[in-house]
Amino acid sequence: MIKEILRNLIGKKQVIHFPEGFSTSPEHTALILDLQRKVDAVFGRSLRIRQVDAGSCNACEWECTALTNPVYDIQRFGIDFVASPRHADALLVTGPVSRQMERALRKTYLATPEPRLVIACGDCAVNGGIYRGSYAVADGVANVMPVDCSIPGCPPSPAVIAAGILRLLEKLTRRE
Amino acid sequence: MNNEEYREVGIDEFRDYCVSLNESGNFIFRLMFASDERRGEGCFKVYVVFSESGSDRFRIPFTRLAGDTLSYRSLTPDIPAAHWYEREIRDMFGLVPKGHPDLRRLVFHDSFPKDSHPLRKDWGVAASDLAEWGEGIAQKDPYEFMEVKGEGVYEIPVGPVHAGIIEPGHFRFSAVGETIFFLEPRLFYTHKGTEKLFERLGFAEGVRLAERVSGTSSFSHSVAYCMAVERMAGIEIPEKAKAVRTLVLELERLYNHIGDIGNMCAGTGLAVGYAKGALIKEWLMQLNERVSGSRYLRGINRIGGVTQDVLSHADDLLTTVNLATSEYKDLMKMLLGAVSHVERLENTGRLSKDIAVKLGVTGVAARASGVNDDIRKAHPHLLYDRLEFEPHTTTKGDVFARMMVRAEEAECSVSMINTLLERNYGRDLAVEVKDMPPHACALGYTETPRGSVFYWVKSDAEGKPLRVKLRSPSFCNWPAVPFAVHGNIVPDFPLCNKSFNLSYSGCDM
Repeated sequence: MIKEILRNLIGKKQVIHFPEGFSTSPEHTALILDLQRKVDAVFGRSLRIRQVDAGSCNACEWECTALTNPVYDIQRFGIDFVASPRHADALLVTGPVSRQMERALRKTYLATPEPRLVIACGDCAVNGGIYRGSYAVADGVANVMPVDCSIPGCPPSPAVIAAGILRLLEKLTRRE
Repeated sequence: MNNEEYREVGIDEFRDYCVSLNESGNFIFRLMFASDERRGEGCFKVYVVFSESGSDRFRIPFTRLAGDTLSYRSLTPDIPAAHWYEREIRDMFGLVPKGHPDLRRLVFHDSFPKDSHPLRKDWGVAASDLAEWGEGIAQKDPYEFMEVKGEGVYEIPVGPVHAGIIEPGHFRFSAVGETIFFLEPRLFYTHKGTEKLFERLGFAEGVRLAERVSGTSSFSHSVAYCMAVERMAGIEIPEKAKAVRTLVLELERLYNHIGDIGNMCAGTGLAVGYAKGALIKEWLMQLNERVSGSRYLRGINRIGGVTQDVLSHADDLLTTVNLATSEYKDLMKMLLGAVSHVERLENTGRLSKDIAVKLGVTGVAARASGVNDDIRKAHPHLLYDRLEFEPHTTTKGDVFARMMVRAEEAECSVSMINTLLERNYGRDLAVEVKDMPPHACALGYTETPRGSVFYWVKSDAEGKPLRVKLRSPSFCNWPAVPFAVHGNIVPDFPLCNKSFNLSYSGCDM
């Protein structure tokens, strides 16, 4: 393992490969730099997000996890996913809100300190997606709690989720 | 082409017939389900699907339940693998397995109305009942957790909202000191009424839903679903479509297995291994997006074939897969050289072969416990009969064994992808699909990265879906997790759980 690290240091091997059109295209670079500035301005370089699965198929969760992998590494902008709603500034909810998760989701919301933000991530969370109209789902997060930002996509890719978080921050700066 | 042998058995002999098949040793219990056929035939039917060992055939005994006798003799005391299926059928159809040792509700939680069975065709529910269900406060049919009594035994309730970015489920540990004495999982938080929704969507649209049952097995679910519908309608898909499906199935297996191996490092706190696994997975996900337009390989399948020629990206596939493989071999070398990592994996979360067979465990978990079962071999479909591979089995059944089975299967997938890209196939991607036949039914199946998945579809008089049964591998494997963690320490539970890597959404449906 140490050999590996040394080899990378000496050889200046580029371990991190950015996805095409993410780091190379100017608008995305601007987006990420923008994101950093916004997080710095609004949250003092610390936006903590609590992810809650309210009946998603697990694809959205993996895209959130991917945001923390060495390619996207969202932590470098001061954004991180935390283990408890008590530590969170924002809830990122995925899934159409299955009825059996509704109560747990409400409780998580109440456990988050105010002013709390809610992000509905993925088509299901936005309006129920393909599960819309099923007896066992509430057709989206907005039917259960106020939503500040919607990120459509099935699932939204990590870059799209990052852009969605940026949109939310933009909205906040305007409000101030 | 048809390898399904349906056999009607009288309700009184049904249990004995199934038990004798199971005990003969020549048949493997695969799944069990019911369907409401009161409109056409005036009865409910209960089906059990067995695989004939050593040959590509299914034996499917079924029985009719009509009138007031909405009960049958339970198979569970003799075939423990039927345990969850019978409870599920009771919840969804109200058909009672007499003599079942545990008749608590499985799918529905306390605030769901009593005696309400959504998969019955005449089912209706009041909006107020649904609202109360969501509030989750009314105790309409309270669930009693099993309790372990004794000096020093204490309970740890965990979930449904967990600390990581994972799916919801409730776990109740009864522990003595740090040692887990008993674990009772309470799942189905993500129940979305998927099977009922399939009936409403229609066969063609159902492909999109099958892709969204379990995120990381999107493609294998849609393959099994399409296969069931195609077999029902007697559609033979073109050679090229078969090649694309086989290739993409292996692509899905590859990114899952490598991601899972990396994820196990999160369970032991080996950050470098976790990061490296996540990196290789990300490369493969981006490859997925380049060749199919979706990181989760969605939108490739349709009834009758595939929508896009993934094989035309042969160069990109070969370069990226082989690059990922060489990095992944480095990762494995590093992991196997990290004593502190291996030490945590060995002898942790052992699942014995006996339990695995009895509970009908499938996939990586079964093969790591010495059960030589792989649907790709047992029931060759697509191009699997033309590819050389052997299911990898080890006997230890611990977390390390599950990691090694994944590691070997990942390499096997790479060689299959290489072989598939060497050959030439025809040009047609799909065949025209006409109307669906009425009153027809068929099975579809494949091996997902987690284990076998089955779909069973039946059409009604108008050729619309009457019943779509889906059985994900996680549904078979969840009941085995409590056996694997018994006697382990609580801090090792996340590691055990990650080594099984079960889907909650696929299980809860």
